[in-house]
Amino acid sequence: MPRPLGFTTLRILAAIRDGSAYGLDIVASTGLASGTVYPALGRLKKGGLVSSRWEDQRQAEREGRPRRRYYALTAEGARALVEGTSRTADVLAVLSPGSAGAVR
Amino acid sequence: MTLGRASRGARTALRAVSFLVPADRRREWLEEWGAELASLEQARTTGRAREYPGVAWFVAGALPHAVWIRTEGWTMESVAQDVRYAARVLRRAPGFTAVAALTLALGIGANAAIFSLVNGLMLRPPAGIARPEHIVLLGRSYDSAPRWDSWSWPAIRLIAGEARAFSGVAAYSGGEFVLGRGDDVEPVAGHWVNGEYFGVLGVRPALGRLLGPGDAVAPGAHAVVVLSQALWLRRFGGDPGVVGRTLAVGSQPYEIVGVAPEGFTGPDALGAPPEMWVSAMQRTLGDGALPFDEWGASWLYAFARLREGVTYEQAVAAMDAASLQLRAASDRNEDVRVVLAPGIGLAPEERERSRGASLLLGAIAVLVLLLTCANVGNLFLTRATARATEVGVRKALGASRGRLTRQLVTEGMVLAAAATMLSVPLVFGGSGILSMLFPVPVAVSLAPDLRVYLFLGAVGLAAGLLSGTAPAWTAARRDVARTLREGGTTGGASRTRLRDTLVVGQLAISLGLVSGAALLGRSVLNAWSADPGFDPDGMVVGSINLRSTGRYDPAAAVAFQDRLLAGLEGLPGVAAVALANQAPMLGNHTRSSVNPAERPEGPESGIEAEYIVVTPGYFETLGIPLLRGRTFGPAAAEPEPVVVVNDALARLFWPGQDPLGRELVRRGVTFRVVGVVADVQMRTLRDRGRPGVYYAYHQEPQTLLVAHLRTTGPTPTAAEALRRAVASVDPEVPVTGITDLREGLARSLAETRTLSLLVTTFAGLALVISLVGLYGLISHGVTQRSREMGIRVALGAASGTLARLVMARALALAVLGTALGLGVAVALGIALRGLLYGVGPASPGVLGPVSALLLGAALLAAWIPARRAARVDVMVSLRD
Repeated sequence: MPRPLGFTTLRILAAIRDGSAYGLDIVASTGLASGTVYPALGRLKKGGLVSSRWEDQRQAEREGRPRRRYYALTAEGARALVEGTSRTADVLAVLSPGSAGAVR
Repeated sequence: MTLGRASRGARTALRAVSFLVPADRRREWLEEWGAELASLEQARTTGRAREYPGVAWFVAGALPHAVWIRTEGWTMESVAQDVRYAARVLRRAPGFTAVAALTLALGIGANAAIFSLVNGLMLRPPAGIARPEHIVLLGRSYDSAPRWDSWSWPAIRLIAGEARAFSGVAAYSGGEFVLGRGDDVEPVAGHWVNGEYFGVLGVRPALGRLLGPGDAVAPGAHAVVVLSQALWLRRFGGDPGVVGRTLAVGSQPYEIVGVAPEGFTGPDALGAPPEMWVSAMQRTLGDGALPFDEWGASWLYAFARLREGVTYEQAVAAMDAASLQLRAASDRNEDVRVVLAPGIGLAPEERERSRGASLLLGAIAVLVLLLTCANVGNLFLTRATARATEVGVRKALGASRGRLTRQLVTEGMVLAAAATMLSVPLVFGGSGILSMLFPVPVAVSLAPDLRVYLFLGAVGLAAGLLSGTAPAWTAARRDVARTLREGGTTGGASRTRLRDTLVVGQLAISLGLVSGAALLGRSVLNAWSADPGFDPDGMVVGSINLRSTGRYDPAAAVAFQDRLLAGLEGLPGVAAVALANQAPMLGNHTRSSVNPAERPEGPESGIEAEYIVVTPGYFETLGIPLLRGRTFGPAAAEPEPVVVVNDALARLFWPGQDPLGRELVRRGVTFRVVGVVADVQMRTLRDRGRPGVYYAYHQEPQTLLVAHLRTTGPTPTAAEALRRAVASVDPEVPVTGITDLREGLARSLAETRTLSLLVTTFAGLALVISLVGLYGLISHGVTQRSREMGIRVALGAASGTLARLVMARALALAVLGTALGLGVAVALGIALRGLLYGVGPASPGVLGPVSALLLGAALLAAWIPARRAARVDVMVSLRD
């Protein structure tokens, strides 16, 4: 049984799902430190939750910059994100006031 | 432009970090980060910069990424295996390990000790203060640089009433109090505080209560005192029943109302820590007047706590209204502006000075650490040569280059870990010694905390990497086949070059440090032999505080001085005696505005001259030469106001004219000049020639006095005589701070002396380490080349030739190291310039002998192995 995904990892996966495709984009949209995002991407790739591909050289040249490495969710990554999100939602529900778990 | 430089720096950093990434993934890694950086630069120029992180912060993330990739494949087992292997290797060479670990420990410990000083003084707010980040210092400016000095009581009241941004404005003034009666008298440093002081600091009492607004209502009506933990333990043995008891403070009984919590030493990081707190309402001015309506009496330092929800910027803006109110309240406040500084502990200018000193010390400590790392790296290289066969075999058996590098770096890390542990006692001892050596008393504790230990860990890690990487680099690059074929005896040109470079660097750093130490030492010596304009030898001074009794009006103060002088004159061992309001070089000094009578009073014509009030016989007692006219006669003979001026003032006010008979005005009183004396150094050794005016003791009566005794016997005898003489006039008057003026001279260069001691320690360390390094290098070279030398001897070379061959190499290294070291020395000299006295930063008189010393020592270190080369035994060397 693999360890459940942490909150930070879920944010990165969600950022990729929502269209952030390369490291800087994810850093900017999540507000996480670059020193957190890049190693996390490496781990996710190793775990098969994201895949990466190099941008087309001609596309990059048209935009006047070096080619980027783009990340995308794999099927497994998408599934892990859904699972993780619903588990997080459960946790939040327990913690929020007015729920059964709240202290009266 | 700036973007260009930033991005170039970022690219260099990326390339440097990329060497951590395994070679097969390095290109890809660099390409990805390069593209990300380019995208960031593009994004930041398009006006959406806010959404993106700064370039430096962004690129900093490359390091953890690279480390992650590098360590990705490591398993706990392989790491443990490396560590075990490294420990075994190090244990097998105990001599090498001990020397390497000890030198590293010294380098690491020196850095951490200096960091603990910086931590205690600058990073950590004084202990016991609640949420110190919400406290601001109050200073003022008159359209110039802000001043962080004292305020008047009405000004504090006005700001406190006006400023909605603050939840309270605290004010305090340092003072020396005299506790107890009879034999039990003890001078104690304390604070006069207003009612908000403890509330603003958020301090809770350990016992009883602290002082509050109710303790600052009416002048003289609050005879209550709060004790510090230290005073409570020292004087009352920590008795919990102390609250409610009576303590004599000066001549008055005070009720003890509480004890401050442990570790609380007031809001200042520097200065004598306060041991008691008394309401400021108990304070009177020197002549008995109350200072509470006086806009002109500035005696309170102020700080405030920001109200909940108010930001620092809002508080700064709110000061405009307070400034206007202040200007309207009194014409003494013309042009005044209230300025704030965040934080507490050090005032901004103290912070500046401390930063300068700690940067300098930090730089020296880093140099020493680099030197020790170079030395240990060199030791590793030497051993790597000896272990070349082992490494070659492991490589041939299929160990990857990365694996081997890791193994060698692990050895450096294990060594550094041992060194770090060895350095812990050094840090504890070092920070204690540093706080004792500090030129002013340190109020706060410098004991290492978590931050110091984290720093220690980081330095240890860096030291391990630095000393392990160089040997790993060269060893891993070596050609397997060649190593095995040659039996591991040759070093390879690249490694020899690396070792030479390391030794030259060590020599250069040593020369820089030794010459820095010599410059500072020279300055201290110069200070000792300097002519201060008076004769400091056999001069004993002691402070006499009439103010603490509260019983002396001006007439009584003059009478006291007459009686004391009569009692001291003619005592055995006392050749001459005089009283003054201040002593040269020691304690506080006062200046007062004067102007020549012929020019009207005004900001343009007047100057701030040293204000010195003396009894007759002062100039004779101190040995200050009289240049013209006369000195003061007895009080009865001087009915009209007269002054003696110094040469600097005479030249300033009446250039080229006769100053005798001229008049000058101070606070509306006209004084006639009756004499001119030579200039003396009043405050420090650096400021000879400041204008000064000497007044007669009965015309400007003082309640804080300094007795000057020209003695013929030992200091303690004179001190005892002074104490007894004062007690016979008035037993309640305390005498404190009795010292020798020679000592005072040296103390005026305390900062230089402290640094001189520290730099000398570091320099000695550096010199020994680098000489050991040079010796090791040359000695190792001789061993390596013994076969070659044997052949040379067999072919008829004279033994002297061989020694010369060895010495020539040592000389080349030493000369190169000296040349580079002169550059380091000059740079360090320039950094130290403010602390030097009577010697220039690049003085040939210092650099010359130091260079000669280093060259001589280096050649001596090389001579021992050279002699061995000369005696090489052909048969032995060829057979081996």
